[in-house]
Amino acid sequence: MIPVVSHLRQWVLLALFVFAGLGLTACGPAEPVTESAPPDMRRLTEEQYRNIIADVFGTTITVSGRFDPLVRTEGLLAVGAWSTSVSSAGLMQYEEIARSVAAQVLNETNRPLFAPCQTSDDTAFDEPCARQFLAKVGRVLFRRPLTDEEVSARVSFARRAADSLGHFYDGLSFSLTSLLVDPEFLFITDFTEPDPDQRDATRLTAFSKAARLSFLLWNTTPDDALLIAAENGDLHSMDRLSRHVDRMMASPRLNNGVRAFFSDMLEFNKFDVLEKDSIIYPAFGTAAVRDAREQTLRTITDHLVTRNGDYRDLFTTRKTFMSRPLGMVYQVRVKAPENVWEPFEFPADDPRAGIQAQLSFLALNSHPGRSSPTLRGKAIRNMLLCQRVPDPPADVDFSEFNDPNSPSKTARDRLSAHATNAACAGCHRITDPIGLALENFDGSGQFRAVENGAHIDTSGDLDGILFADGAGLGQALHDNPATTSCLVNRIYAYASGQSLSSRNEWMAYLEEGFAADGYSITALLKRIASSTTFYAVAPADTSEQEFDLAANTSPVE
Amino acid sequence: MVFNSRHLPLQRFLVSFIFASFFVVAGPIQAGVAEKKTLGFVVTDWNTAMYETLFMDECPEGPTPGNYEIWEASVTPEVRRSYPLMLFTKLRHINNRGRNGVNVCDDPVSFDDPPLKIVEGKYAYGIDLDGNADGTATPKTCEHKNFTSLNGAPGIDNQMYRLMGCVEAWKSYGHIENNANSHRLSSGLGMILIEVTNVDDTANDDSVQVGFYRGIGSYNLDSSGKVLPYASYGIDHEDGLPRYGDIVSGKIVDGVLKTDSADVHLPFFGNYQYMNQVFRDMQLHMELPLDGKPVTGSVAGYYGVDQFYSYVRGMLSTFPNRHKFSCPSIYVAAHQLADGHPDPETGDCTTLSSAFKFDAVAAFINHPEQEERIAGSGQTSP
Repeated sequence: MIPVVSHLRQWVLLALFVFAGLGLTACGPAEPVTESAPPDMRRLTEEQYRNIIADVFGTTITVSGRFDPLVRTEGLLAVGAWSTSVSSAGLMQYEEIARSVAAQVLNETNRPLFAPCQTSDDTAFDEPCARQFLAKVGRVLFRRPLTDEEVSARVSFARRAADSLGHFYDGLSFSLTSLLVDPEFLFITDFTEPDPDQRDATRLTAFSKAARLSFLLWNTTPDDALLIAAENGDLHSMDRLSRHVDRMMASPRLNNGVRAFFSDMLEFNKFDVLEKDSIIYPAFGTAAVRDAREQTLRTITDHLVTRNGDYRDLFTTRKTFMSRPLGMVYQVRVKAPENVWEPFEFPADDPRAGIQAQLSFLALNSHPGRSSPTLRGKAIRNMLLCQRVPDPPADVDFSEFNDPNSPSKTARDRLSAHATNAACAGCHRITDPIGLALENFDGSGQFRAVENGAHIDTSGDLDGILFADGAGLGQALHDNPATTSCLVNRIYAYASGQSLSSRNEWMAYLEEGFAADGYSITALLKRIASSTTFYAVAPADTSEQEFDLAANTSPVE
Repeated sequence: MVFNSRHLPLQRFLVSFIFASFFVVAGPIQAGVAEKKTLGFVVTDWNTAMYETLFMDECPEGPTPGNYEIWEASVTPEVRRSYPLMLFTKLRHINNRGRNGVNVCDDPVSFDDPPLKIVEGKYAYGIDLDGNADGTATPKTCEHKNFTSLNGAPGIDNQMYRLMGCVEAWKSYGHIENNANSHRLSSGLGMILIEVTNVDDTANDDSVQVGFYRGIGSYNLDSSGKVLPYASYGIDHEDGLPRYGDIVSGKIVDGVLKTDSADVHLPFFGNYQYMNQVFRDMQLHMELPLDGKPVTGSVAGYYGVDQFYSYVRGMLSTFPNRHKFSCPSIYVAAHQLADGHPDPETGDCTTLSSAFKFDAVAAFINHPEQEERIAGSGQTSP
């Protein structure tokens, strides 16, 4: 007999579960019907390329080489990826990388792991083995099953190469290389099909839906479960698709997706070219630079994913993670051994609060040998508030600002003299009051109380909100409505390649939902990934493309 | 009073008891009670304190000759020519000129090298360790000559300088100590950590505790090879107790830390030699910076003759000797110059008064079980 208390407990738990479920599903407004964008294609980012190779072949396969850069558009490289091609030099690089990857995958050590069958004679062409290998790998790389004709063509290519080279696996390696340089791998393409539920309408194929979802949440190619769901047609059912969204949201790989988005939004690609004067900032060496990036990404994923925290609190949180190299720059004790991270919290009276006061932001938005209130203010406007600050005019006179003999000791003094120039004042007025709040942190992000012996005044304002220091700036960012609307805009642009600026209804829907969900980014991602709008496409306007093509090519001709 | 690692359980019990009593009697610490600070330092450079003049006036007989020169002067040209031409092999033969072909460093009394040339100058770094300005013997010392400090203070005891001050390899431009410092920085071995606890005021405090530990791990260097401040270092410990860890009392006067005289163990590595250095009656003087900049300090105390010769022998018997000194000369002179801690049976002194200089930077010292500590700047995270 089951005790009554046990029954009661079950009912109470069930009721709580139902209410909780209702609460979750009832949060926020209903999804509006909005105009869809036509199908498009985007180039894999370098990180996506690396993630795919690691997922398919394992992390021991090295991807070494240079990738064509992407053009940052609407504040994101991910948006620029929708309007970029591959240069001839870039294609050569892709081919070189592909050859290297293929050679590693099919070398004597690794081929037993990846090639599904073993041939006893390496000089003889084992067609069943080649067919099985290329079909299996091609399905993951192309994010859809290859047709029999496609597999046969790749097998034929492998055979010709093997005949020439006299070795089965060399031939197979050539064919794998061909997959890795194929546009279907390098570009994530929106493939469409007629929508059986709406006359004259088109919809994304299930495999394109799978790719959209997987790159948004995990920043990599769909896993086997998602591809099987696509093959079964499950992804055309919003209920069944939502189950996959839940599955993927619950995976630790969601961290990869969130990291990728914030790496892009915070322009962490600039770390690749970050230079600091080692004489001025001796503690900010290679290890500290590497860890500065990682610290912010760990802070973000811990706060937003692990703790499901309020996005706005990213700008006020004192919780972060610390490593030995960073401890020397922050001047704090780190008990964790080398190469181990430990949770860390700055004291409540510490001026350092929020990710904008971490080394990554401060060092990236500074000069090699000094801080820059203007660059920092501009970065906050551009990156975090989606407010575009124009670049300085080409003929701007920096002599007064850069004069080493200037009586002005602090950046505030120098900037006030510089900003008297009418041509400069307009922009400096919107950047400097923000950036000066972070002047307690030098060009490497290290704390300083004085500059050239003079006390640093860190007071400032953000859109009329006054504050005394960097922590106050963080609170002002926390409370600024542009902070959350910018995030919504950026994350949708990241997901779809489109800016929401002209789609106010959808923007309002996401913003309201974001607020209703307590500014939870996981809830926002789920809302987007579970929406019909995210997967909707308008019919492709081929006439316009032809027109543009003609317009673009005729002058050359 | 001196605590070492063997005393730590008792010490911790006493500290816990005192704190527990405080809470029982007074409740939680009241606002306004100043928090005790802890300052940490890692030693980056360690050298015998050598007073050197431009023309080596302190060595009127010139620098002391090395093994090679001594051998060369002691044999005929025919003998010289009979030795192997290869320098490495030749040096090995020269080293093995002791009785029955034994290495003279392993048996330093087996061969009568010329007497070591020692310092005859007036001035030296160091302090008056024995409180006896005229150098006459006391119950704790043997008769010796005293130096005068550079600022004119008499009674400076530094027989180590007298012994090694004319050995060119040991001077500031010589390779012995430069190599040792370089070996420590590149390996992290022999890392000395100094921790000042119980600090109320970093400018003046009449009662602080100073702990000496061996660090584990690598030094954190910048791109030019200098040790970075504010790095975190663990201490070498076994079963939760530091292998080193002598704790002595001291005080801070006008920003300078001075410890009471006490026996202290310090780690050492250099020239491929490990040592557990024992300083008898050691005193430390060190500036306490408030800005994280490198600091300089000095220790003075009595250094065991056997301990010192062990280092010399380790260096010279391991590798063919091209150093500019000879084991027999140093061995004999060291025993002749020893001025501290007479052997109760023989009356011969067993230690050399000495002084060493060091550089250090602020560091965080991680104990196995420890609450928040503050680095040498005297500041928390800014």
